[in-house]
Amino acid sequence: MTTLTIDGRSVTADPDRTILEAARAAGMSDIPTLCWYPKLPIVGNCRICLVSVEGQPKLLPACATKVADGMVVNTESHAAVENRKGVLRLLLERYPADHLRNGGRVSPRNEFEQYVVRYGVVPTPVAERDLALRHGDERPGDPMIRHDMSTCILCTRCVRACEDIQVVGVLDVGLRGEHTEIIVGADGDPDRAGCTWCGECVRVCPTGAIFEVMPRERFTPEQIRHPAKVVRSVCPYCGVGCQLDLHVADGKVARVTSPDIELNTPNQGSTCVKGRFGYDFPQHRDRLTRPLIRKGWSKQRGRWAWQGASGPDRRGGPWRTIEGEGQTEKPAGPPRAVGKSVRELPLLERLDLDIRDRGATPPSWYEPFREATWDEALELVAQELSRIKRERSGDALACFSSAKCSNEENYVMMRMFRAALGTNNIDHCTRLCHSTSVAAMQRALNTSAASGSMREIEEACNVIFIAGANTTESHPVFGAAIKRAHERGATLIVADPRKTELAARADLHLQMQPGTDVALFNAMLGHILARGLEGKRFVADRTRDFGKLRDSVRAMTPEVAAKITGVPAEKIKRAAEIYARGPNTSTLWAMGLTQHANGTDLVTALLNLMLACGMIGRWGAAMLPIRGQNNVQGASDMGAIPFVYTDYRTVKDPKIRDEYARAWGVAPESLSLNEGLMVTEIVKEESGVRGMYIMGENPIISDPDIAHAEHWFRELEFLAVQDLFLTETARYADVVLPGSSFAEKTGTFVNTERRIQLAHRAADLPGQARGDLEILIELSNRLGLKTPHRSAEDVMREIVRVTPSWRGVTYERLEGAGLQYPVPTSDSPGTAFLFDVRFPTADGKASFVPVEYAPPVELPDETFPFVMNTGRQLYHWHTGTMTRRAAGLDQREPTPIMEIHPADAAALGLGDGDPARVTSRRNSLTISCRISKRVARGQVFVPFHFREAAANLLTNPVLDPYAKMAELKCCAVRIEPVD
Amino acid sequence: MSAVETQEYAPVFTGKTLERLQEILTRYPTKQAALLPALWLVQGERGWISDRNMVEVGEVLGLTPAYVKGVVTFYTMYHQHPVGANFVQVCTTSPCNICGAEDVVKALLAHTGAKELGATSPDGQWTVIEVECLGACGFATPVLVNDDFVESVTPERVPELVRKYK
Ligand code: SF4
Ligand code: SF4
Ligand code: FES
Ligand code: FES
Repeated sequence: MTTLTIDGRSVTADPDRTILEAARAAGMSDIPTLCWYPKLPIVGNCRICLVSVEGQPKLLPACATKVADGMVVNTESHAAVENRKGVLRLLLERYPADHLRNGGRVSPRNEFEQYVVRYGVVPTPVAERDLALRHGDERPGDPMIRHDMSTCILCTRCVRACEDIQVVGVLDVGLRGEHTEIIVGADGDPDRAGCTWCGECVRVCPTGAIFEVMPRERFTPEQIRHPAKVVRSVCPYCGVGCQLDLHVADGKVARVTSPDIELNTPNQGSTCVKGRFGYDFPQHRDRLTRPLIRKGWSKQRGRWAWQGASGPDRRGGPWRTIEGEGQTEKPAGPPRAVGKSVRELPLLERLDLDIRDRGATPPSWYEPFREATWDEALELVAQELSRIKRERSGDALACFSSAKCSNEENYVMMRMFRAALGTNNIDHCTRLCHSTSVAAMQRALNTSAASGSMREIEEACNVIFIAGANTTESHPVFGAAIKRAHERGATLIVADPRKTELAARADLHLQMQPGTDVALFNAMLGHILARGLEGKRFVADRTRDFGKLRDSVRAMTPEVAAKITGVPAEKIKRAAEIYARGPNTSTLWAMGLTQHANGTDLVTALLNLMLACGMIGRWGAAMLPIRGQNNVQGASDMGAIPFVYTDYRTVKDPKIRDEYARAWGVAPESLSLNEGLMVTEIVKEESGVRGMYIMGENPIISDPDIAHAEHWFRELEFLAVQDLFLTETARYADVVLPGSSFAEKTGTFVNTERRIQLAHRAADLPGQARGDLEILIELSNRLGLKTPHRSAEDVMREIVRVTPSWRGVTYERLEGAGLQYPVPTSDSPGTAFLFDVRFPTADGKASFVPVEYAPPVELPDETFPFVMNTGRQLYHWHTGTMTRRAAGLDQREPTPIMEIHPADAAALGLGDGDPARVTSRRNSLTISCRISKRVARGQVFVPFHFREAAANLLTNPVLDPYAKMAELKCCAVRIEPVD
Repeated sequence: MSAVETQEYAPVFTGKTLERLQEILTRYPTKQAALLPALWLVQGERGWISDRNMVEVGEVLGLTPAYVKGVVTFYTMYHQHPVGANFVQVCTTSPCNICGAEDVVKALLAHTGAKELGATSPDGQWTVIEVECLGACGFATPVLVNDDFVESVTPERVPELVRKYK
């Protein structure tokens, strides 16, 4: 430790700290800085932080000078202050004078102007200036982010934020001398330079030269500068669980910023484009503001009765089915911003003139409905659910809960279905997400969640192995952390059929044929065993059944695997050796592995590899299934799955049942001991389900067999949907209940690393829409289940009582970074990584489950020569219900596209933007082509966000035997041009 | 990664040029260090460096397009626009200026048909630019025509000079 004196105070600091860091750590944050920014590389180019150091002839930059013992620093010496004024005066020479209020004497608008005011510097009158302003014009940009470089002071924070935090490198410094300016890519087009519109540059810019557009177009400058409140919430999109600060004006979210970069949040101050710019969907004109009841229901003598049409039209409406829409013509993609100035681009207000906003609800969809009161709507729902239970049984009812909703909401939902309706038929989208991972992890380790944290990838691991995860698009903030880890020197190996951004960056890209992962992993494992590189101690002490495993992989040599996977044997061997040598290897995977009809086996093969090398249970050796939705982990933890109560405690055990019955004040017999049905089993004729309650899910787009699902939902006796919009599913409902968006609720969410985080209510509910929790509580009570809870916090108190591993959770403790469960006691700090000594199995050991390679169910052949892969795009989210109503995001990707390799496209005579017909053994649709080398030859990629070209019309609905996951990632298709 | 990869673009680094780049790369510790010679290669091949060329150089050397552009724009000797067959650089720094460099520039523009500094004459033959001190202050005004160094140029000598290179 070094001791120095700063402004008369004695301060101690690590010798490798700078004067600035030492001062800030001591709570003295008064040294002005412009080019310096926390966590960015130090460049020391602005010279505003210069301070006097006794015995030094010249002023020294506080941001770049290391502390030394006995140093005496004066931060506001006469010389230092004079220097600062000089620096500011020079910068002001190029700063637009009309930007400063009252000549720069009061009301600073930004960080830079604060210093101008603080040091009382008056700018030179414009007439006397020598230098022209920098490009005052807004340069090519986007409705989300624009550049007005006239206020740029060349601090280069944006350049470093893009380069070093986001690891993209869109911006740099160009030209020289007085002409110096910040340049965007080679041609001024951010898209071409790989910009992901994350807004990191916006966040760091001290002058607002790079700024967000949307708030400015919708709110007054005053509202933006002084929001009514700023509320901490959690991003409603992916499983990274970024914390967001919602700025509220007029009861609406006016703007989103990310929490301070130095706070301990999972996102460390970053967000992606969805988090920062995808916040306006709650304000979309499509938002449901009153409950809707299908015309035909009427109340007679105190009971609701159906008077409308019967038969197949009972639930129809004036719209085309998804299958029908698949055939329609699609407009070509949007003109990109290439080389155009912002002024030539369509503005947001002209929204309805162009092809954006096509995901919005067509007016005709409302026709079969009438507006109703809450009392009517809830009464009807309660009556029908009770009737079906009485007339058939509880098991004739089912519920899709929501991975978009909070833990409290999922808990109350499952409590209602189990205790009031007596069925375990409750599931949510995890079935089409990580259910196979959970099945595999349960089998091998008896666990259902990630073992480690995202932070350890960034900070501690030496080798990152990613299988089937397009992290930079699906989980962009985590993707950036992986890129930072790679820059720091970690080795990156990516197994993916597509050349994703990470794959292109990776030290090794194993570009295998879709669905051949088992062969790849088994071959890697076989090679490791052949070379004796396995973690011998770990295998001996902490695992079982190693012998069986050894035998099972012997035949799969790298040479054999090379034939199956298309990855050269040499590469497989190298990857295996790097993986095994570690010393700390982290294993990440996502939908590319799980969404297969043998997904459980694919994940198991990966787990075998991981366990054989002992790559789990240490800081830096993490097992991370990257979760999709912001609360898919929490919804499962809360028991919104058919087999378990909270904490994965089985519904089959009468003792456990009694415990929950007591907690809920019901007779034990009213809770079913039979495991319920899963999502993919429910939507089947043979399920016997006749009534459904769906909260915040849109199965008609996400079901693996859309055409069938759409038919099935129409045939139900009763369907209630609680959602924000009249979705493709809700249009078939009997009752639609307008719920609340993320910004309008308080609740907790669990991210991909088991971190429970607290989101606070920020915005007002539109019209008569109600909080999701409120709706569920009232409905529970109407169904006769005593639910006295008044708030989300009330519900949490009950959750922790019945959930041993959450026992130490309180709302108070969740403020800030949140807690990573297990949190068994009120003084437990949470658990950053698991399994350092034992696994939660009976004997504490993990087991190997040998798996054999089986080819994907559907292989390309002469009639269907292409392999179609489905997935997510950066700008969209799942069925598009939210993102297609977020103006900025929708502007980026307004229409469905199919990625196809240039050579394949040329052979078929298809150009960029041309319409093509894609046909699988099940169905066909038209879509426009995007020529891209990201897909390999013989493969195409279709995102699943678009109703008008729903990828799941084509996918193969065969199911995984364990987790009932469908083969979503791999089906054979034929492609023809449409003229 | 850009979503649009449509325009036809003929890469610079193929065949012989690629071989030359590879040979150059052997002389540098990192790919990044070979940026300046790589840009020279492009300029040698194409006469100037387009935005798209910069992207290609970035791809080949593992640098971002903005970084390459930053370097190209920092140096005056990389052309960001097509230049004439003859590229003329005139020193207009103070000493030469005092000795009448401005008039030399005017004469050069008049006789080559180039409309202004940096522009190319309609026949595609000439581009004239101003440069800083060429290190020949004693022989004002020095002019560089392509790689030839011509000293003591006066407005009167300009027509002859221009004729020589036509
Ligand atoms: S938005 Fe993100 S990717 Fe784009 S320039 Fe800014 S920091 Fe870079
Ligand atoms: S745009 Fe903003 S962050 Fe970037 S250099 Fe200019 S002032 Fe700094
Ligand atoms: S903040 Fe220290 S030199 Fe810019
Ligand atoms: S000033 Fe012209 S050559 Fe030096």
